[in-house]
Amino acid sequence: MSEKEISLKTVNNACCGAEAKAVILGCSGGSNVGQIANNLMIELDKSGIGNAYCLAGVGAGLSGFVETAKSARTIVIDGCPVACAKKVFEKYGIAPTQYFVVTEMGIEKNHFFDALKEETAQALSYIREKIG
Amino acid sequence: MKKIQILGTGCAKCIKLTENAKKAAEEAGVACEIEKVTELTKIIDLGVMMTPALAIDGEVKSVGKVLSVEEIKKLL
Repeated sequence: MSEKEISLKTVNNACCGAEAKAVILGCSGGSNVGQIANNLMIELDKSGIGNAYCLAGVGAGLSGFVETAKSARTIVIDGCPVACAKKVFEKYGIAPTQYFVVTEMGIEKNHFFDALKEETAQALSYIREKIG
Repeated sequence: MKKIQILGTGCAKCIKLTENAKKAAEEAGVACEIEKVTELTKIIDLGVMMTPALAIDGEVKSVGKVLSVEEIKKLL
């Protein structure tokens, strides 16, 4: 894929009147559920539901990221109830359009990464049902 | 001098936002350089996922909307 094609895939063409895709942000934390949140973001991007987006950019307060998070439809995925991703949004007074927590998908938080593939599949099935 | 950047590929909305920015600068009496940023990789590097967007002195102020003259004047 060329750089231009990648860019066109990434930027929503709201400019030209097309409905903008949602941006998806995963907490990507240092546990199985944090990494599952990241995997879910990637899988939802691959299936065309939205565009993977950078939570770190929002957390760092970079203006383009914060303003995009304020203006776009957002799907925010936290790994656990500590809710770091949601709290990053709250810091800027933003409420996610849709919000999910991986531990509410029947997956227990731990610090082992051996079963990520299976756990991601389970979580993906849950989230796809909710998103429709 | 302030620098206003209009981020977008150049559709009608981008053109309207540019016109509004020029008018806002004139009405507010603020000396501004207006730059159009049309290269998508540059737009993405700024974290902008919806265009048109407007930045002032490197700070993105709005994304995915055409700000009115009055709204831009307040930002200046």
